[in-house]
Amino acid sequence: MAIQRSGLQKEILALYRRALRMVRTKPPPTQEKFRLFVRYAFKTQATALSPRDVSAIEHLLRKGRRQLETYEDSQVRDCWVSKEMYEWNERDRRRAQQHSAS
Amino acid sequence: MQGRVKSSTTTSMQSLVARSALLRSTPARASSLRTFASSAARSQAVPTEKPVKPKEFKIYRWNPDEPAKKPTLQSYNIDLNQCGPMILDALIKIKNEMDPTLTFRRSCREGICGSCAMNINGQNTLACLCRIDRESPKDTKIYPLPHMYIVKDLVPDLTHFYKQYKSIEPFLKNDNPPSDREFLQSPEDRRKLDGMYECILCACCSTSCPSYWWNQDEYLGPATLMAAYRWIADSRDGYGAQRKEKLQNELSLYRCHTIFNCARTCPKGLNPAMAIAKLKLELAAD
Repeated sequence: MAIQRSGLQKEILALYRRALRMVRTKPPPTQEKFRLFVRYAFKTQATALSPRDVSAIEHLLRKGRRQLETYEDSQVRDCWVSKEMYEWNERDRRRAQQHSAS
Repeated sequence: MQGRVKSSTTTSMQSLVARSALLRSTPARASSLRTFASSAARSQAVPTEKPVKPKEFKIYRWNPDEPAKKPTLQSYNIDLNQCGPMILDALIKIKNEMDPTLTFRRSCREGICGSCAMNINGQNTLACLCRIDRESPKDTKIYPLPHMYIVKDLVPDLTHFYKQYKSIEPFLKNDNPPSDREFLQSPEDRRKLDGMYECILCACCSTSCPSYWWNQDEYLGPATLMAAYRWIADSRDGYGAQRKEKLQNELSLYRCHTIFNCARTCPKGLNPAMAIAKLKLELAAD
């Protein structure tokens, strides 16, 4: 059975998918960086907020849409990834490995 | 304070004492020079001390870095005798001296850029053109433009407003402009544009319009409609019919219910409501 999702959740997932599609339009050598950037932006902000804080989530959704619009421009060919993001990525991968091992 | 005294003394030194004394002055002698000069300055006229005239400003605050926190009103007390006459002066004073985190847009401080549009005591206006009420002991409340998404504190997100403006193609469109000379216009035709071309797109009128509040996504709003009519009324524009065609629908134009908030609030004294009325007339006559 499919999970029942609220309208807000659907909108966020739609934005996430749109962002991941944006990654595929970028030149292949930089795609990994874009993907990390998108994942980091979504996952860190998702854990920082309470799911009941609707107005805050709506604000982040609007902000994300605006940000994505600029990233979707074909002139944007590279993005900067901070050390923090790489560290987060490392931790995330290890967590995933542990999860699959156990 | 020290630095200010010293700089004023150096100018008086140049006229009073020989210039060579200044050239010879070494850091060791600087202190003796300063005492001499400060005693001279003391004999000069002192500006009369004005009494403290306190005024409370309550300003809308919201920080996007903490999206979970609710917006609040923060109050600041200012001595009006130490501050310029306009609301914008007070805001700048607060930002400079009391709270550097206060965020607002400003640029020209003379009502020509439209950056500092905000809601002051319930009225949308430009902070740089709005005088501080010195007489009333009541506090002054400052909010961002109503019914707009907030970027931070007093800064609204005007992206959609600008997109709407872009959608009416605010530029001259003509397929065969004269190639060998200027594009002339009779004085009467030029006069039709008066009261419209002065719009600075501060968004005060659009954000004061209840129709715009509820139908922002489809209704264009007074500022954009006035800009649309400005190009339809232009005798040099060749695309009037297409421009009008675009507005022939339920929402873009006809959501205007002649509320006249736009004309009342416009800080430039323009009348968007009249432009919309003329536009409706032209569309009805089509």
